[in-house]
Formats: sequence, C-alpha cells, structure tokens
Amino acid sequence: MFKNHLKIAWRNLKKRKVFASINILGLSLGFSCAILIFLFVNHHLQFDNFHNNSDRIYRVVTEEHRDEVGYDAAVPPGFAKGFKTDYDYAEKVAKIFTREGWQINGTGNKTSQRFQENVAFTEPVFFEILNFPLLEQLGDQTLDQPNTAYITERFSKKMFGDENPLGKTVVVRNKETIQIIGVLKDLPENTVIQGDIFLSYETLKHYDRFVYSESWGGINSSLMCFALLHPNQNIAEIEKNLIQLVDKHRPTSKNVHRYKLQSLDDIHFDNKYGGVNVSLLWIFTLIGFFIITIACINFINISAAQAFTRSKEIGIRKVLGSFKQHLFWQFISETFIISLFALIFSLIIVIAVLPSFNGLFTLNLSVISLLDVKVIGFVLGLLIFVSLFAGSYPGILLARILPTLALKGKLTQKDTGGKMTRKVLVTVQFAISIVLIVATVTIGKQISYAINADLGFDKDAIVMVDIPENIERIKLNGLLERIGKISGVKNTSACLTSPGGTDSNWITGIRYNNKAEYEEFSISAKLADENYINTFNLELIAGRNFYVRDSITEVVVNEMVAQKLGLASSEELIGKHIELNGGDIKASIVGVIANFHDQNFHEGISPVFIAPQSNAFNEIAIKIDSQNADAALTGIEQRWKEVFSKYIYEFNFLDERVARQYEEEQRFLSMSKLFSGLAIFISCLGLYGLISFFVAQRRKEIGIRKVLGGKVGDILLLFTQDFLKLIFIAGIVATPLAWYAMNNWLQNYKYRVTIDWWVFVLAIGAIIAITMVTISYQAIKAATVNPIKSLRTE
Amino acid sequence: MIKIENLKKSFRTEEVETLALNSVNLKVEGGEFVAIMGPSGCGKSTLLNIIGMLDNPNEGYYYFNDQEVGGLKENQRTKIRKGNLGFVFQSFNLIDELTVFENVELPLIYLNMKKSEREQKVKKVLERMKIAHREKHFPQQLSGGQQQRVAIARAVVTNAKLILADEPTGNLDSKNGIEVMNLLTELNQEGTTIVMVTHSDRDSHYAHRVINLFDGQIVTESQNKPFEVNA
Repeated sequence: MFKNHLKIAWRNLKKRKVFASINILGLSLGFSCAILIFLFVNHHLQFDNFHNNSDRIYRVVTEEHRDEVGYDAAVPPGFAKGFKTDYDYAEKVAKIFTREGWQINGTGNKTSQRFQENVAFTEPVFFEILNFPLLEQLGDQTLDQPNTAYITERFSKKMFGDENPLGKTVVVRNKETIQIIGVLKDLPENTVIQGDIFLSYETLKHYDRFVYSESWGGINSSLMCFALLHPNQNIAEIEKNLIQLVDKHRPTSKNVHRYKLQSLDDIHFDNKYGGVNVSLLWIFTLIGFFIITIACINFINISAAQAFTRSKEIGIRKVLGSFKQHLFWQFISETFIISLFALIFSLIIVIAVLPSFNGLFTLNLSVISLLDVKVIGFVLGLLIFVSLFAGSYPGILLARILPTLALKGKLTQKDTGGKMTRKVLVTVQFAISIVLIVATVTIGKQISYAINADLGFDKDAIVMVDIPENIERIKLNGLLERIGKISGVKNTSACLTSPGGTDSNWITGIRYNNKAEYEEFSISAKLADENYINTFNLELIAGRNFYVRDSITEVVVNEMVAQKLGLASSEELIGKHIELNGGDIKASIVGVIANFHDQNFHEGISPVFIAPQSNAFNEIAIKIDSQNADAALTGIEQRWKEVFSKYIYEFNFLDERVARQYEEEQRFLSMSKLFSGLAIFISCLGLYGLISFFVAQRRKEIGIRKVLGGKVGDILLLFTQDFLKLIFIAGIVATPLAWYAMNNWLQNYKYRVTIDWWVFVLAIGAIIAITMVTISYQAIKAATVNPIKSLRTE
Repeated sequence: MIKIENLKKSFRTEEVETLALNSVNLKVEGGEFVAIMGPSGCGKSTLLNIIGMLDNPNEGYYYFNDQEVGGLKENQRTKIRKGNLGFVFQSFNLIDELTVFENVELPLIYLNMKKSEREQKVKKVLERMKIAHREKHFPQQLSGGQQQRVAIARAVVTNAKLILADEPTGNLDSKNGIEVMNLLTELNQEGTTIVMVTHSDRDSHYAHRVINLFDGQIVTESQNKPFEVNA
C-alpha cells in the first residue's frame, strides 16, 4: 500500500512540476532556517553541560545594593576564604581571575615569539570542580606554587610547536618568568571559562595585589568564585546565611553586598551577570517556527486548492474500497516525500551557508555538528512534524470528497471546501510578515540611534592605543610628547579608559563635603590626565579643569553628581571636598562637565569623576585629523614601538569600539533582516502558487468577462481585491502584536526610539507592493490572453 | 442478492429539495442481468449509487445478501463493498497516474492481498480482457475501448459477485460498445450479477430484465429473451 502511495506521489510530483518546485523550495528554505536556528540554540543550551556533579556546581555572584541594585558576576577577594572557613556548605571552593589579551613572550630560542592570550589565575582545586582534563603534568606538580602554569594544547602548539612544553618557560606581560607544569586539553567552545594559560593563583601577587589579597573592600569583575556544594543543599538558606559575611567584613559599607549562588545551568543565560540574553534564543526559536509555519501554510494552501483537481482519483479509490484513513495516510506519505526532498536540499543549503552563519553569529559549527544525535533527532522530528502538520489538512479535505460527485465530474471547488481556511492561513502569513518587517525597522532604528546619537563626547577619529601597566610617568609623558608632534595628531590623553565603549568600569563610593557617611550612590572613575576633557571634547559647564600635581588634589565631576546629591546647580559643587575609593583619593572638586554616556545605551548616565591617577592608566587616546589618518597612524605606531620595543602594539578606533557594544543588536538586526526577507520570500512563493492555480481555474471566467467588455485592469482587480482585504485584516491583527513585542524589546534600553505609526504603514504598504508584484505577472498574463483561446480550453 | 423496499432519496441544495428516488421497490436475484433505463435526471444513477453503497437512502430499506446496509456508515459500507462489488463507468474512471497493471491491481491492494497473488490475478484478468500487452501503458495512451476493458478488468479482478455498470458504452463507438457488452454478458453467464444503467436500447437487450424509471419511480419492468453473445 505504502509503495503504491509513494508511486502516486512521485508521479504527481512529476506531473505538477511548478507546484512541486514551489513547495519543495519553500520547505527547503524553511527547513534550512529551522536547522540553522536549532544549531544556534543547541550550541547555547550545551554550555557547561559536560562537568561531573554539574548539579552541585555553583558560581557565587554579588548583588550590590546602593541607591540602585547592581549585578556583578564576581566576589570580593576575601570571599572564597570566608565561605570555606565560616561555613560547611561546600566540598570545594576555587577562585579564578581572568584577563584578556595579555602578552606572553617565549624564552630561550623562542624569545622572538610574542602572543596576546587570555589568561587566568586559579587554584589547583578549580580543576577538581570543573572538568578540564590535564593531559600531561610535570612530575606531580599542581598549581600551588608561584610562577607556574598549565597551558592548553593549542597554546603549546603555537608557542612550542611539536616540542614538549613541560618544564619550559614563558614571560607574562614582560614581567614574570613562568614555568609550564601541565598541558590541558583545549577548552571546549561551550564553556564560560575561556583561556589558554592558567597561572597559579600565587603568581597573581606579582600582578594585582588587591585581587591577590583577602580584601573585602571592593570587587574586581574578573574574579569569579566556583563552589562544589555538598549534596542536597538548600540554596536559599545558604544565600540567607551568607549575609553574616557582609555583616562581619563590610558592616558600614553603603554598597550592601548580597551573595547569590548561580547554578552552572544559569551562568550562560543570566544576562544580569553577563550571560547571553536568553530571550534572544526564544525569539530565534519563534522565528524558526514562524518560517516553518509559513512554508507549511504554502504547502497546505496549494495542496488544498489542488484537492479539487485530484477529486477523480480520490473518488475512484473510494469506490475501489479505500477507507478514509487510507486516503489520509496516502496524502501524508506524499507530503512526507516532498518534505524529504526539501530536507535533502535544505541540508545542502545548510552546509553551504554554515561558514557565513558562523561568521554572522561568531560560532564555530562544522558539518560534523550536523551528525550530533540531538541534531539528527531534531531533523527527523521536523520531517515528521512537517509531514503531519502540512499534510493533515489537505489529507482530511481529500478524504472527505464524495465519490458520487467526484466521479460524475459534478464536484465544485466549494465541495472540496477549505476556502475559509485558506483565507485565514494567507492572513496569518501576511500578519507574520508585517510583524517581522516592523521588528526589523524598529531594531534598525534603535541601533542606528544608539550608534549615531550624541553621546556627549567625541568618538570620531580617536585612536585608542594600549600601554603597558605601571610605566613611569616620565616615559609616558615622553611618548605623549612625541606622538603630539606627529602631523595629523590633534590631541592626546593618557587614561584608564575612554568615556564610553568599554565594558570595564571602575565604580567606587563617594563621601561628599566631609559628611560622616558615604553616599548611597556610587561613582564611576575615569582616571586620566588633564587632556582628557579636550581630547574627547567633553563640555566643561562650571569651574575649570584640574591641574596635575604629584598627588591628587583636584578632580572634575559630571553634573549627575549634583543631581544625585540633590543640588540645585552644578556650581554648588565647586570647591567642595570629596573622598573617593575608600579614602585613596581626597580632593576638591574644581570643575563640572556636562553629562555624557559613560556606558552603553542599555544603561543610564552615572555620576563620574575624572582624576589624574597615573598609575591606573591603561591606554592613550589620540585625536587625529581624519584627512591625514594613514600618516598619523603610521607615525603613532613608530613612536610607540620606539618606546615599548618589547611589547605588542595594539590600537582601535573609539567609534568602532562604541559600535561593538551593539554587536548583539547588530547580530539581531542581521538576523531579523535575513529571516524577514526569507519569510516574505517564502510567503510570496506560496502566493505565486495560489494565484497560478486561481488563474488556471478562472480562465474561462476571464474569457467571458473579456468578451463582455472587461478590461485588463478589471481582471487584475478581480484577483487582487481578495488579497488586499486579507492584507488589511492581517494589518489589524499584526499591528498590536508587533507594537507589543517591540515595545517590550525597547524596554531594555534606557534611551530608546519611539515606534512611529508610519512603520506600520510602511510594513503594510511593503506587503501590498510585494503581493501586487507577485500576483500581477500571472494575473496580467491571464488577462491579456485572447478570450477565444481561454474559452476554447474549456 | 438485492432487495430494496420503499427507498427514498432526496437532495437538498440551498433552497430546493429534489426528490431523486420516490418509494422504489426492487429485487435482483444472484446471476441476473438487469438494465435500468429512463430519461436524464430520472434517478438511475442515484439508484445505482445506493445499490453500490456509495450513497445512503433517506428512507426505506436496502438489503444486500440479506443484510440491511442502507443505514451504514461510510467505512462500514466500504468494508462490504470491497471485493463484493465491481464498478464500470461511462468515463472509465481510471487513475491517470497509474499504469494499466497498477489500476487493475488497486482493489486487490485494498484487500491486503499478497503481492505475488495480486500479480497472478491481474495478469490473468488482463489476458482475459485481451489487454495484457498494454499493462505498462498509462490510461491516456489507450483507446476508449481499451480503457473500458481495463475498467472491466479492474471490476472483476476481485471476483466481484455484483457488477454495477453506469452507461458502460456511453463513451464508445458501436464496435467497442458491442465488445464491452459481450464481455459483460460473458461475465453474467459465468454467474456474476450485473446491474447496468443505460440510455441505449441496444445495450438493454443484453439484460434479462429492463426497469424503466421516471421521476424517481419505477414505472415499468419487462423481461427480455435470453441474449446470444456475439462471437
């Protein structure tokens, strides 16, 4: 029986090539999107799922309660010790401090080898909590001694080629010589821990005294704490009891810490703590579902419309003893075959576009990813789902055809039914397309607003160049002076970080005007020299710039400080004394600058101070003449290398850095463009199929109308008016949905665009235009045929 | 074999109700060859559809082999129809996408017969219908007469006890028409009951009995002399 179904299905495909092609093309594109989206979502769902005891592994994170609540995926340096000694919740507790892009130099015959790598400082117990296997080890040494490190196979290959790295040394940041005592298997892509060099925690004393200490005075966002808990712990209770640590170590701090335990499953998805935005995955999944739905709707509509043409076959089969369910399953088998073809094409498409997809979403998926059991399961499930979803309705329509009418040729389109359903389905397609267009336009508007908005500082033609830490002031000044002389360089400033476009923010407490207590709010530190304000074109609205002296005695703040303090004017701040960073900085406010966006558009504007703390400078900002950029860049690199010959030169443009903060949104926009385009294209395929069918069916009617004096325009209207009505209904349905969805999305942004009414008009207009183009060709072709010809065909 | 009592069938369109059959009583014994005649729209085909269990009456009784089948659901009717009844239509009603062999094989597939057995039966019946050499052809590649022979092959391949023929020669020229009628007569002589709707006086002479319908009622019934099959 099944063979007979397959035979008929195959011959039907051959007979109705146009419809088969439309269906197969639509479903192939639908399948391709669904598979790619599944690969993407699956990649994210696999994060850190390979550790033993993963249900007992937690990362401790901090909620910082000030006037607003802040979230930090880190803990104070003293936390791990306190957690181990004061409580018995955990079997193992480990600290890990990560750094990006640190310079690693070879030694001996590898001296010329210099790389920038992600490094981490950690304790031996870290590798007992998380499952990163050690492949080779120098004797039985573990990471408990200073100046030792494990490296990954990847880095070993890069630095030492095929040589055995064990016992060899590297120099980290041109400072300490480190001995390699172990080789780790490369860390998989799907873990939040990234790095190729794992230095012993003891080594950290040479690089960051604060993080190495057991201090409770503040948090460095790169210091994480992992714990393997004893079985059956009550997390809420642990979190409650950890308040005792705050009482013990930070009793008076205005920044009230609450330590939370984040399960391994949550780390990758908690975007409060730097995880990916899980809603993005849901949106992806929903879009994948939309596209498959659109492709299935095409199939359903075209097949249902064709039910009429297959009525004779159905009638005969019924007469010969076919039960309804036979016919139903026959049609499902046919759908299965079409879907199978589509699936094969889609796999070819997926393999072909995988490199671009990887590039777009910064993934590293390969063809082998397609052989994963989950992927195979998904693909087979999808095939079955689509066969049933797309095949059921036409199957039911076909099975209920009355043989007595069918065989006498008395069956009309009305008897096969499904007209209403078809209208509903086409409306759904239009509605989905409208929602996707509105979403794409809104996302585009928001991103363009964020990138092009006046951020309150100059970001164009500013080059940011890294400098080694703790360099002598005199050497730095020499470099700045030499760079300043390059033709095309307008201004230079040494600083901790640029005004915006940075993920790392130094946030500290503030005590104003000798008050007894610190303020509730925190303040962001922009440590920089006196040229910062000029270089970034920040607007001084009161007082003056600070003078640089041997110690910090003067600072400049932004007007948000006045607002937070409830002062009537910024002028009131001038001359006031403030204490910052736990008393490290005690200075007078000498100037106030206008507010600027010191963080990205997701965040509000924070209070900021600028102070000349030269030992914190990390980079230099150089404002160049964009007309003369190439020469200036070459000159800067030359001068820099003359001063720091042992270091790797690295620079980037501030405007690009700012734009990079919107990478997720940019990706989201690319995705929206791609998938809305596809959704609309697949819908058009379906419309084209439907209209070809209607035109074929109404050829006689068109002939008669023309004989009676109908013009081409009248006949075009005949076909388009129904669709226009459906687009209108779709617009009514889609507008509130799209508005609701996009309004929700925009809530992520403190500063956001409004959703204008014209976006909806544009979306509906675009759909009308696209529909017209799709159906006009067929309709005009039919309308211009000589009526004698169309009447003769009947 | 067939006993029909007070059968009524009406069709309803949006506003009009048409009485297609009005108190029809009919008996057909096993082995009979009955022709149903009458003008267009008199209810011949409706009666044939009900006898063929493709449709249900609104009122009255229909006994097939002593079983009341007039009120059965579609799937139950299909179950009884399978293998017992064969149909021959004016427009042949072969499936265009299937070859001659596959068209004839189809009712056997619905009877869940084994493949080897099906092949044997189909070949045999195609030979008998003198169409075996065309078994791999598609219906459009055959003449009308050949197509109708395939349709008859399909009707008898299950050894159906009753063949219902709806104007079987209506689309054929006289030579092919006579051939088809001879085939039906042969089948009847071998014991198959035949009920045939026809407009043709000539064809009605092949039947033992002719029933005349008018406005949904049987108006006359006449016996024919036994007919000699033309060689």
